[in-house]
Amino acid sequence: MAKLIGGLGTSHVPSIAAALDKGLRDTPDWKPFFDGYIPGQDWVKEAKPDVAVVIFNDHGNSFFLDRVPTFAVGCAEEYKPVDEGWGPRPIPPFQGAVDFSWHLVDTLVENRFDPMICQEIDVDHGIQVPMELFWGRPAAWPVKVVPIFVNVIQYPIPLPSRCWELGQVLRKAIESYDSDERFVVVGTGGLSHQLQGARAGFVNPEADRAFLRDIAADPGKLASLSRERYVELFGSEGAELMMWLVMRGCMDEAVKVLHTHYFVPASMTGAGMIVLENEAGATGRAAA
Amino acid sequence: METTVTIVLIPGLLCDASIWTSQVAALSQRAPVVVADLSTQDSITAMARDTLALAQGPLAVVGHSMGARVALEMVRLAPERIERLALLDTGAHPRRDGEEATRQVLVDLARREGMAALADRWLPPMVHEARTGDAALMEPLREMVKRATADQHDRQIRALLGRPNAREHLSAIACPTLVAVGRQDRWSPLAQHEEIAAAIPGARLVIIEDSGHMSPVEQPDQVTAALLAWLDMESPMTADRIPDTPLFDRERQRRGYRINKMAMGLSKPENREAFKADEEAYLDRFSLTADEKKAVMSRDWREMVRLGGNLFFILKISAVDPVRITEIGAHQAGMAHDAFLRDRLGKK
Ligand SMILES: [Fe+2]
Repeated sequence: MAKLIGGLGTSHVPSIAAALDKGLRDTPDWKPFFDGYIPGQDWVKEAKPDVAVVIFNDHGNSFFLDRVPTFAVGCAEEYKPVDEGWGPRPIPPFQGAVDFSWHLVDTLVENRFDPMICQEIDVDHGIQVPMELFWGRPAAWPVKVVPIFVNVIQYPIPLPSRCWELGQVLRKAIESYDSDERFVVVGTGGLSHQLQGARAGFVNPEADRAFLRDIAADPGKLASLSRERYVELFGSEGAELMMWLVMRGCMDEAVKVLHTHYFVPASMTGAGMIVLENEAGATGRAAA
Repeated sequence: METTVTIVLIPGLLCDASIWTSQVAALSQRAPVVVADLSTQDSITAMARDTLALAQGPLAVVGHSMGARVALEMVRLAPERIERLALLDTGAHPRRDGEEATRQVLVDLARREGMAALADRWLPPMVHEARTGDAALMEPLREMVKRATADQHDRQIRALLGRPNAREHLSAIACPTLVAVGRQDRWSPLAQHEEIAAAIPGARLVIIEDSGHMSPVEQPDQVTAALLAWLDMESPMTADRIPDTPLFDRERQRRGYRINKMAMGLSKPENREAFKADEEAYLDRFSLTADEKKAVMSRDWREMVRLGGNLFFILKISAVDPVRITEIGAHQAGMAHDAFLRDRLGKK
């Protein structure tokens, strides 16, 4: 059976991509931010996952308001980076893991999650930035991707507890997948930021740091908070942090924190990263 | 739910803790439960103040009939303490014409002939028509009314006649709210509860089947189930409760559909060219109103958001006519850019 080798969490701020495109990586504004991801990149190089399940939201690029799925799963052979308005970006398309995607959709529906199924869809910075942060800028991505889209923009957005439950079903899907492939799950978004209204520019470093602790040690607490509390603590756009709960819900109760990184502000956002492994080791490796 | 919350059950006119027996047993598994005593006060406000003092910290308040009016008064007096609210078989309207005379008949009866006579007259219309002869239901209710006194009845009627008009405060209730009513409640009918539920943002209306006004004792299991579900009910997300934070809710999505669709179009290079070549003509393709056009053309970000624009869409305007996102933030915050970077984002 497939192995779950770890869980990653990261921000997906579009300015990160823009900074890379403009060659600003080593400028004083950005260097400390990017340097903090080196341990995460080293972990990925060492762990060599075959498939990355990436949980993110579309930001008005692949979905317009005419049809908004609460949860959607990519089932495509390939996902092209979308033009968000600033023109195409110089990154390669992502290869899909079609067979697993369908297995995931089956498992979700059997467990009473009914996602939209997307066989042809472009993907925005929500997945691009996390992939670049952990895998760098290769000529071709050394890992296949399974995008899970969560609506965290148009209300009603899902409950945080629902994101957690989605992670638990994702875990079932990985564990029941007949394959030798090594899976990593990537929860993305946040941390605190707000783009709209007179409270724009709100960041909450204290709450962000507490989140980075609790996501490992006390995720049940984060899963039981209301949506409103997320908005209060992390800002209207920072509420997307609940997507990390999908990743965390997929992991064991006991996890090891291998790396964390926090930097504020990345553009208008408190930005962070975490690398987790199950305390008991990779799932499906019981014989070892 | 917060662990420190206390559940407060408030009985109505002539009622006491006995009507909540079944609910106390179930709810005390979830949180500490206290039952209010409304036998000594002669105003709804005094009843509300005394009930607020029964516990410290946040409250989940359940009121039945007059008890629900007290619950509404508690929300008015101390909204910050009421974490959730359940209103059963009640009303929010002020005293009605002729109400005083009808009630006086019963006050006089209790004085003249005693509480047993009052129970015989008052109780039957309070329950489902088919159950007025059901001794298992009616006897405990009769005993309860006999435990009360004519003085208490007098005080409570005075409190009811002098009740505040709770209607005007309903729209300000911001906690998860349950409104429940017996389908055969003849005293405070279903339609009245539909009105109350419609006036409270996000309120949930539950109809208790085969029940009159005394739903907690007529259909204890249904009432308990509704209350248990209510304990897990989410806050309504329809109104902007966090200051200066316009959530992209139903109203804004509908209001801003055109403006966001126009901005979404800028993902296509040919539309970006069209926008640059003749902005107004491009906006007209999406039937923007004069206000919307003005907001876009003057790059008034605050106004675009007020008109339902969402940053993820309208930000695409800045791909055609470059402006930094921090400048858009500063504009909405009403701050100079450098002050915004320093004070909001902590930039040195
Ligand atoms: Fe996002």
